[in-house]
Amino acid sequence: MGRKNDGVLKWTLIAICAIFLFIMLILPLIYIVATALREGFGAYAAALSDEYARKAVGLTIKATLWAVGLNTVFGICAAWCITKFNFKGKKIISTLIDLPLTVSPIIAGLIFVLTFGRQSFLYDYLKAAGISIIFAVPGVILATIFVTFPYISREIIPVLNAQGTDEEEAAALMGAKTFTIFRKVTFPHIKWALLYGVVLCTARAMGEFGAVSVLSGHLRGKTNTMPLYIELLYQGYDFTGAFAVSSLLVIMAVIVLALRSILEYKGKKESEQDR
Amino acid sequence: MADTVQNYVELHDINKNYGDFQASHQINFGIEKGKLVALLGPSGSGKTTILRMIAGLETPDSGEIKIDGQVVNHIPANKRGIGFVFQSYALFRYMTVYDNIAMGLQIQKVPKQQIKERVTELLDLVSLKGLENRYPNQLSGGQRQRVAFARAIAPNPQLLLLDEPFAAIDAKVRQELRSWLKEMIGKLGITSIFVTHDQDEAMEVADEIILTNRGRIEQIGSPSEIYTYPKTAFTASFFGQNAQLEGYQAFHTFGDVPGADKALIRPEFVKVYKLDEKQQYPESASIGTVEQISFRGDRTELQINVNGLLITAKRNLGESPIAVGEQVKVFLYRIFVLKGEEVILLENEAVNSNYFNI
Repeated sequence: MGRKNDGVLKWTLIAICAIFLFIMLILPLIYIVATALREGFGAYAAALSDEYARKAVGLTIKATLWAVGLNTVFGICAAWCITKFNFKGKKIISTLIDLPLTVSPIIAGLIFVLTFGRQSFLYDYLKAAGISIIFAVPGVILATIFVTFPYISREIIPVLNAQGTDEEEAAALMGAKTFTIFRKVTFPHIKWALLYGVVLCTARAMGEFGAVSVLSGHLRGKTNTMPLYIELLYQGYDFTGAFAVSSLLVIMAVIVLALRSILEYKGKKESEQDR
Repeated sequence: MADTVQNYVELHDINKNYGDFQASHQINFGIEKGKLVALLGPSGSGKTTILRMIAGLETPDSGEIKIDGQVVNHIPANKRGIGFVFQSYALFRYMTVYDNIAMGLQIQKVPKQQIKERVTELLDLVSLKGLENRYPNQLSGGQRQRVAFARAIAPNPQLLLLDEPFAAIDAKVRQELRSWLKEMIGKLGITSIFVTHDQDEAMEVADEIILTNRGRIEQIGSPSEIYTYPKTAFTASFFGQNAQLEGYQAFHTFGDVPGADKALIRPEFVKVYKLDEKQQYPESASIGTVEQISFRGDRTELQINVNGLLITAKRNLGESPIAVGEQVKVFLYRIFVLKGEEVILLENEAVNSNYFNI
């Protein structure tokens, strides 16, 4: 009797999930592709080869690479110091790392405007040094870094915690230097988690809108990333253009998602071997 | 020096606190070169802390640690000439058996050819030839321990430290590995200290036992010495399979110890007779009722109620069987009487008196 009920429950849950995903995900995706191709492939190709579109793609890739690069370094450092050492303020650091996940990106953008903008005491120094952050590429990169920095450390911390410090201690007792210990002992452990974090960070960095929107100033061809450019086209009733660029962003996201699945699978297989 | 025996490892007045917790309190001992010593104690007794301080993985708050006559307090762990076997073995999971053993030598920049020779020699020693390309997760528990052992002794340390070396292995293999390790360490002649909470393990493997309790040393001695002649109440109660009794006077012909708290009885102190069996000292036996019998393979263990006091006794398989509920005669050869921290060994007076009668 219980079995039969389980069957009903199972299929009901599956149906709910399927319908939900269809309405929330599949339908919009189909709509994006359909709208992008509404005026034929020619218009689609033209929209993508537009100079501003290409610049937007370029900037998105640039900001993503910067963000992922710096966050990888920061993420490893943060995860290492949190899991391998005991110190005062450890809890505060690990809580602060999560902040970008909870703070609205718009607010993040505004914080940077206040910190580096005209009203800031830093502004004069930056100006003297010839550095402009607000309404310039560095601002876009800064905003992207801010919203994506928890992703990598969050992935590594549980792995490092689970591993404990025994193997590092064993290597240290043999006289291994810190960097050797990291390279030969720690890194092989966190490899998959790190790559997974990088993928998540990339996905998030490509799609960031809010914080970037505040800091970029929407200068076409200069500080417009793909999401900003899409919005601009959309506001200008250029639906073909907007959805064409959107479809490109979707394709990039799908690639990242596929990478994620592969990594997850490989990582799991390896950790199963550990047992 | 005036000392006749030069100790290889010496600890002088070592203290160590973790916050309010006193992990080590005035620890003093010396270990002769070539000895295999057990640091034994219940969990939380501070035995691992002592081991880690000798290794240099922890720093004592005060006191001196000497290895080979030299104070090593400020010498980093990797310069102390020690090999360390971790409780979890801490084998490098992403390296082969070969690389695990070779790692220490590689760090010391030993030439490749020499490393190869040494690793091959060690693989031979620990009977793991042919497994050098396996990863730790492809080995059994016993094999992992042997890799950990080989890795620890690869750079020829003068002192080997082992943290609960048998804890992660199932009971059957553990027995084999105990004798294996004892033999191996004897063969190499390397001074070794191992931590354990298992009294059987300590007694079987070690030349000398250092018994710790609540951050202090209770007693140091050879296994037979420490087992037979405990000097403190804790030592007496830690070893053997004790039954604690209030009011041992219920048993006959024991001398009186004024101010005693309670008594300890080990199963080997007890002799059980069926009512119709002949007995050597009939006047000093008590009558008890068998409450429980458990079969232990080579013997049976009896729980016997004597005037409300529950004691444990053993009975060999050859002897005629006893049933639950049966009345038996119970004779005690000796008991440990505890008085505060003190322990007094009382022999049954009947034994001596009869002896004179012969």
